Amino acid sequence: MLEAINLHKRYHQGEVDVVAVDRFSYRFPAGLTAIVGPSGSGKTTLLNLLAGFDVPSEGEVWLDNTPFSTLSEDARSELRLKHMGFVFQQWNLIPTLTALENVAFPMMLAGISLKERTTRAAALLEAVGLAGRAKHLPSRLSGGEQQRVAIARALALNPPILFADEPTGNLDSASGARVVELLMRQAQEGRTVILVTHDLELARQAQRILRLRDGRLIEIEEAPSDLPAVPTGR
Amino acid sequence: MGVEVLALIYRNLRARPVRSILTLLGIVVSTASMVLFLSFGEGLRKALGAELSTVGPAVLVLPEGVEAFSPGYPELRPETVEALKKSASELGISQVIPYVVLTRGGLDPQSAFVFQGIPEGLSPKALYPNLTLAEGSLVPGPKGAVVGSRLAERNQLGLGKVLRLSPSISLRVEGILKPNGGLSDNIIYVPSSVVQEALGTRNYTAAAVGVREGFKADQVAEAIKARIAGVNAQTTGDVLRFAERAVRISDLVRFGISLVALVVGGLLVANTVMMSVYERIREFGLMRALGAKQGFIFGLVLLEALLLGVVGGLLGLVLGQAASGLVNWFTGREVGLALSAITFRLASFALLVAVVLGLLAGFLPARTASRLKVVEALGRL
Repeated sequence: MLEAINLHKRYHQGEVDVVAVDRFSYRFPAGLTAIVGPSGSGKTTLLNLLAGFDVPSEGEVWLDNTPFSTLSEDARSELRLKHMGFVFQQWNLIPTLTALENVAFPMMLAGISLKERTTRAAALLEAVGLAGRAKHLPSRLSGGEQQRVAIARALALNPPILFADEPTGNLDSASGARVVELLMRQAQEGRTVILVTHDLELARQAQRILRLRDGRLIEIEEAPSDLPAVPTGR
Repeated sequence: MGVEVLALIYRNLRARPVRSILTLLGIVVSTASMVLFLSFGEGLRKALGAELSTVGPAVLVLPEGVEAFSPGYPELRPETVEALKKSASELGISQVIPYVVLTRGGLDPQSAFVFQGIPEGLSPKALYPNLTLAEGSLVPGPKGAVVGSRLAERNQLGLGKVLRLSPSISLRVEGILKPNGGLSDNIIYVPSSVVQEALGTRNYTAAAVGVREGFKADQVAEAIKARIAGVNAQTTGDVLRFAERAVRISDLVRFGISLVALVVGGLLVANTVMMSVYERIREFGLMRALGAKQGFIFGLVLLEALLLGVVGGLLGLVLGQAASGLVNWFTGREVGLALSAITFRLASFALLVAVVLGLLAGFLPARTASRLKVVEALGRL
């Protein structure tokens, strides 16, 4: 369970203090949660704080029973490896590794044997429909294929939390739809999927939408009850 | 460390082939130059060791103040040699072979002739037991000469050919030796009286002294110094130690010179790896975001520098070996000596230097890469 308590992030820009995230509190349940807001509303900064890429000026992020945001860089890295998967808008893959090696990379960090991680990575690529592209370098994959490899990699260690930051931003509608479908499937399987987007069409597919403006959480919109039920446990 | 890491390092180096190859060349050349420079010291050591191991008598008696490798005008008086012979049994001496050296033709090895005058009727084998005869006689007659193989070859000296030692002294080649790869290949052995006549003296350069069974060379040397005035007695061990000191000093000088090349090589690696780090900031950010710890990134970058160092060092060793072979071919042709030698310890030292170079050059870029902030590296500010 991921929970933000009174998260606050200030930046110094010259002599001016800019507040990027302003007293954000929320407990993320399982299922798909979309964070929306206009450009500059603090979506990316919030994701940075939730994922432990950055530390808050005030407040805390708790991961299960651990005060995640107060841990050291390396301790946060370790927890990220085990509990979180990431799909970014771009710069998702390591350019000198093949699709298979990219998917296997987190498993290598976790100390899983070569044989096991190769088998698992191949299975994950097959699950996202890219079995035939396993030995291709990212430069030889389309944008949609790269995002699917990133999803396969995000699932490598079967983490309970998945972050997706504008995952369809650079994709055509068909590729985007396929990526969204994959993310939805993860949410339906009981993962906490946190989707950051400015695309309201995409956000409407989530179980709940958090609206940000000027770094503040201004609205929480729950999806109508006729949407597919989301299991509570994993 | 997974295959992914090796793939990362290898493919990253291969992704920029020209830069990687140029960097590698920098290390190869700097290591090779160090190997070659230091191989001269090893070559000298080897040649000296080989030379002294072929010397029969174990003690060298020289006039006081003269070192074994700097014989000047003969200063060892015949009375001293007689005194040595008289006290032989008392001092533990088995034989006394006085000799006198004369160099003609200056320092150029191509035109230099080294005459070693030995007691008449004696074979040069008494001084250098390893010598073997190729043709003719091993013992030079009263106006005869036995010539080392290299010298004979260089000057086309065949049996019966006449050598002029001075305007009034001519010698006939009576024997030619087989090559043995040492200094003795470049020496002309003649009766000492002939050399003394040419120099207008009755003195000797030095006397080689054999040690009787049951006596130790250093004790005999000490006894000679105590008994005979005005002489210095050195064992072959002393000579080797003296030579070793001289070679070690020259080693340091040569290492100092090659250090410049090494520093340049190290800076090349540091520059390449640092550029590579700056180009891959997002990649490192992504790795950190995925869960890689700082130590992983540090190791990854350091390993890349280390790989450049090790591969460059190995190739440098090969190039150094080739250059050493070329030098030896040249000096072998010119002076009959292999001046350069790449020993196991030199090879190990060169590799160690290359590894340390790689580590030092990679340290700063590795630290920079590992300390990147994830948000900054990913450009997520």
